[in-house]
Amino acid sequence: MSAEMLRAPAEVKYAEELDWLESVDDGPKPFSWRLSPKMVRIFILGSERSDGLEREIPQKWFGDRSFVERAIVTLASDRGLLLIGDPGTGKSWLAELLAAAISRNSTLVVQGTAGTTEDHIKYSWNVSMVIAKGQSRESMIPSPIMTAMEQGVIGRFEELTRATSDVQDALISILSEKYVSIPELDDDAVVFAKPGFSIIATANSRDRGVNDLSSALKRRFNFVRIPVVSNKKSEAEIVRFRTTELLRRHSIELELPPTLLDILLQSFADLRAAAASASSDDEKLESALSTAEQIGVLEDAILHSHFFGDRTLRPQTLAGSLVGSLARRSPEDLAILNKYWHGVVEPRSKKEGGPWQEFLDGGRQALETLS
Amino acid sequence: MTTTSTAAEALAAGSPFAALRDQLLTAAETFAADAADAPDAVSGILAGIVADVDRALREPLEIFPVCHHSPASALAMARRLREKQPKVIYLELCEDLRPLLDELRNCRLPVALQAFASDLDGFPPGWGPLSVVAPITEASAEYQAIAYALDTPGVEIVLVDRSSDHVFQWLPREPPAAAPQAGEGEAEDASLHGDAVGIEIGDLRPGFAELEEHLLHHGKVRHWSEWWDQYVEQPLAGADYETYRQVMVLIGSLFRRLRPSASSARSDRRDEDRERYMWTRMREHLAATGADPAECLYVCGAYHAASRVAEFGLHAEPTDYAIEPRTATRWLYGLIPSSHSAIEAQFGLASGSVSIAAATWAKALAASGVKPYRLQGQQGGKSGKRPKRAPAPAAPAPAEVTDRLSGFLARPPALSGLDEAELLGWCVDIVRLARRNGYLASTADAIAVFETSILLAGMRNRARPTPYDFQDAAVTCIEKDVVPGRRDVRRLCEILLGGDRIGQVGYHALPPLAQDVYDRLAPLGLDLTKRTQQRALLDLAADPDLEPCSQLLWMLRYLLPDGAVRPIMGARRLGERPIQESWDLRIGAHQREIIELGYEGVTVEQVLEQRLRRSVWDPQATPAVALKAVEDAILYLGSRRFTDELGARAVELLAAERTVDDAPEVLRRIRRLLAHYRSTEPELPAWCESFVTEGYAHYCTLLPTAFVAEDTGVRQVGAMLGFLFSMEGLALSLGCDRAQLEIAVRQSHPEAPAKVALLWAAQTQLGMMTQAELRARCAELMDNPLVLPAFPQYLSGFVQALEPVPSLTPFVVELLSTAFGRLPDAVLLPWLPTLITTLRKESPELVPVLVREAGRTFPASLPALDAWTPPWSARAKGAAPSAGPSGGGGPVAALLAAHPAPTDAVAALLGIDAPWAPAAPGAGEAAGHPEAAALLAAHPGTATAVAALLSPALS
Repeated sequence: MSAEMLRAPAEVKYAEELDWLESVDDGPKPFSWRLSPKMVRIFILGSERSDGLEREIPQKWFGDRSFVERAIVTLASDRGLLLIGDPGTGKSWLAELLAAAISRNSTLVVQGTAGTTEDHIKYSWNVSMVIAKGQSRESMIPSPIMTAMEQGVIGRFEELTRATSDVQDALISILSEKYVSIPELDDDAVVFAKPGFSIIATANSRDRGVNDLSSALKRRFNFVRIPVVSNKKSEAEIVRFRTTELLRRHSIELELPPTLLDILLQSFADLRAAAASASSDDEKLESALSTAEQIGVLEDAILHSHFFGDRTLRPQTLAGSLVGSLARRSPEDLAILNKYWHGVVEPRSKKEGGPWQEFLDGGRQALETLS
Repeated sequence: MTTTSTAAEALAAGSPFAALRDQLLTAAETFAADAADAPDAVSGILAGIVADVDRALREPLEIFPVCHHSPASALAMARRLREKQPKVIYLELCEDLRPLLDELRNCRLPVALQAFASDLDGFPPGWGPLSVVAPITEASAEYQAIAYALDTPGVEIVLVDRSSDHVFQWLPREPPAAAPQAGEGEAEDASLHGDAVGIEIGDLRPGFAELEEHLLHHGKVRHWSEWWDQYVEQPLAGADYETYRQVMVLIGSLFRRLRPSASSARSDRRDEDRERYMWTRMREHLAATGADPAECLYVCGAYHAASRVAEFGLHAEPTDYAIEPRTATRWLYGLIPSSHSAIEAQFGLASGSVSIAAATWAKALAASGVKPYRLQGQQGGKSGKRPKRAPAPAAPAPAEVTDRLSGFLARPPALSGLDEAELLGWCVDIVRLARRNGYLASTADAIAVFETSILLAGMRNRARPTPYDFQDAAVTCIEKDVVPGRRDVRRLCEILLGGDRIGQVGYHALPPLAQDVYDRLAPLGLDLTKRTQQRALLDLAADPDLEPCSQLLWMLRYLLPDGAVRPIMGARRLGERPIQESWDLRIGAHQREIIELGYEGVTVEQVLEQRLRRSVWDPQATPAVALKAVEDAILYLGSRRFTDELGARAVELLAAERTVDDAPEVLRRIRRLLAHYRSTEPELPAWCESFVTEGYAHYCTLLPTAFVAEDTGVRQVGAMLGFLFSMEGLALSLGCDRAQLEIAVRQSHPEAPAKVALLWAAQTQLGMMTQAELRARCAELMDNPLVLPAFPQYLSGFVQALEPVPSLTPFVVELLSTAFGRLPDAVLLPWLPTLITTLRKESPELVPVLVREAGRTFPASLPALDAWTPPWSARAKGAAPSAGPSGGGGPVAALLAAHPAPTDAVAALLGIDAPWAPAAPGAGEAAGHPEAAALLAAHPGTATAVAALLSPALS
């Protein structure tokens, strides 16, 4: 099944692993959960020898263990889970993994946008069917959240804060009363949530202030803040993990040299430090410089060298992709990158030589082309 | 890994641990089959650990292994002390701190014992001041031992660790590393220890980061304190003494053996040196007093209990180890307040862990019913009556050692069950606390926290939620996207679970200086032990008795860091008498600083005197520094003898000075001091006079060089001239020679435009140039297009010249106005900012002078401006008639006026066509005919002849 999909959801991709975990899981399971909380944690964070499992489970989400534990525990409790953090910190990925592990279905997703209406959260009507047969459960189109309620599984709400506040508030009754009433119907007019239903929402902390959550809604969510990964070692892990996955998806055979990965991580670390010390927005790159951004740069470089290069990843290509993806505003971003290239990369290439020299040349060329 | 000597691993014959050892060795073999690398190392370590435990327990002198901030240790200690009633207690603590222990009863714990040295002898000079602190908390085994020993008659406590001096002697001779940074947030409390070196009893932590990380990872805990709490503390809380001892030695031995050999070689050596030291001291003490080892107890860190030095044990073979003598450094001792957060910051513990330990201790006491020892008269906490000494049971000799380890290691830790009431209490309290701090928390949150805590604990394999689980749960359920107040939920949890406790040193344990400060501030009527900020109002006019308080507060302000005492209203300046003052005092929060002042002297005055004296005798001291010290001495101490001494030093410094960099500062200060002395004393002190004469000669000598030297600024030269001109009267009266100054000015040939202007000003002042000449020169400059761009620099020079030559002010105003009128924008505009910054930064005192003069010159209202002509151009115009020589008056003029014809004819001949002006009445009758006078003056021959001709007629 996964072979025909561009991107298989986690429950499909790791179906075999989940089956196995379910078969060996003897821990207590809350509600209709497919795995016990401990197994969910093992599925997401990978197994260790001390867990006593016969096969090794690879780590799929990288970050502090307590975040995952708190997230799982929240889902087992009465409240919804709100993952909040900067863009590219892996909130949606964690939400998907949690939903896949707990209910084997991570696709019941509502995407929050400015155009999201209450219908998207509750239900809407199949108009032609209503005309033909009248309003009934049959002619009703349940939203993903309502479907999740009916099935007793996890529903997801992506970018909650992008939806307007009144739409967000439709979740209040769903989260507290755990039912949706359908006033249009005379009988069978209430959809009750089955045990196991909960909501994982994600929110971008950069959007704070656009559509603030009401306090009533805040109270019904437990907030778990996912920080930007600043630990170089785990960041390298994440980039390697995600890139390998991307390469497989594009079926590209390409070696990722560790030195290049170091260069990429180092550049991002430098740029982040520069952004942290900048005093105004004009002195910062527009990009949040998240881990996801790094993966994007690397993917771009890989695709470029695969299709237009000699199928090996070179520092020049990486530099070009870095400049290309980070220079969003002209002239501010270009000026910052130019400063970085001449103030940091140049001295470093003189000191360390090797791939840094090529990285320097590549970056210069890219900057010249853009300027 | 540290290599193991096989001899040490051999168990004594008949050891109860033989079975355990075999079991472990078998396990090691099995394990080694998996991991092919270095199987011997594993079995070596495991066997070694067992051997260490065996050895420590067989020692005839009872060893009591402890861990710092471990309630389990404290509990076991209290139990053991009651049971054994030892006569002598040896404690692993710097031996020179012993006298301080008696003072502990005057303090509220936690406090730290401190050894302090500022006069170093035998240490690299850059190290000072040296400071060692050993914090003591109530929930510690060492406090139990100290309290028992001090309050039980006939019991002696002997500190056996190396002295504070050795702590530094054994440090590597490199610049000491930067002091550990205090944590964020409550940084103030965390920095209670200053930058002292911390020592504590029973430091027990894995020797290398990888092991710690491994333990944390597999223990599913976040930091070391949590691991310790879960895997050692809790299981040991209810354990019997034998198990406690064996497990502690086991852990000490484990950490000791698992450390990388290379990086820790130095600290290993230091630890071993300490063990040799302690055992040597104990043997010496036993030999000297003849105490029975069976009645003694040796309290040391678990790490040292597993020692393998040759000196270990009472029956060790004698070695050639000798204790090194102390250096000649003089050490001072005192108690300083400490706090849980300071201890955590100093020893790298997780924030809140010491507080949690204290809470656990209180709980364990309640649960176990053990009565803790407590020093008589100890402040704070519950006032328990001192337990009377029970009729001493025959101290049970360390009974037959039995193997308790096997059982302990094989069983999973028996945890106490879920204490539902306690958790519920926490949940309710945290919600209340959160509400008070701005969170929208409600009872629903309390329920959620409760549920989440239990779920989290279950997920982490814990039977009951630990405080750490509770903290996580509270953060999950209550913390939203923003923190509404000053504290976040994590911090609130810490406060809830005990909060930071800040100790206080009682009055009687304070050094004399600090007691004196408290006594002298008593009239203020404030509770100075409070840590909060307090406002003191001193109405000195109404209550002159408060004057000494005010005096002391000013001295403290000088000596203590910012924030300890802060004047809100009132100032101390020369020549001013305070009427009312108000102060913000935080004496309680700065107790440590006051105590440390006590190491420098007996009274605040003495310390201040020393500080001032030190500042002027510093190799870097300048005359300005010395003058400042004089001023401070007058303000705060008022001792004539001392100010004279400082003043004499100022003269010396001035004479030795080779630069004039701080001339402006010197000028400012000496002016102020002179004004002060003139107004308060009948005559100037001798040092002032010699300062002026010395300064006059000194600045005269340096003047020509300063004028040309490029690195000397205009301001400095201006200040020199200011000194020379304004002190001139005094200097000349004291025997200086004005010629010296004139020669110096003549010798000066500056090139920089600004300095040239200064020189001109100086020349004007000295009468070597008239103002008219000066004006002419400036006009010339402005007419010369080549010099014009540099004109602003001349102007800057003139502005600076206002200081030495204030009489130039009208001229400078004139010059500035002309410059604004005439200079091209290209020159003027770039210079304007420079002018403004110069005026604001360097010579703010000149601005009012200039403004006042300008106010006098320029019209005050707009309409008046139209009709206004600048006085200088009016003078130029109006001066023309009067400028010429007025010619003779009197009879000549009268004659000419009476017979105008010849004069008219001559005038016509010469081509002058001017009407006769009516003669002015009075003496200057001819003053109205300047033309004629000029003519006559130019051609006097005619007039003389006419006069000769007429003279008979006239006469």
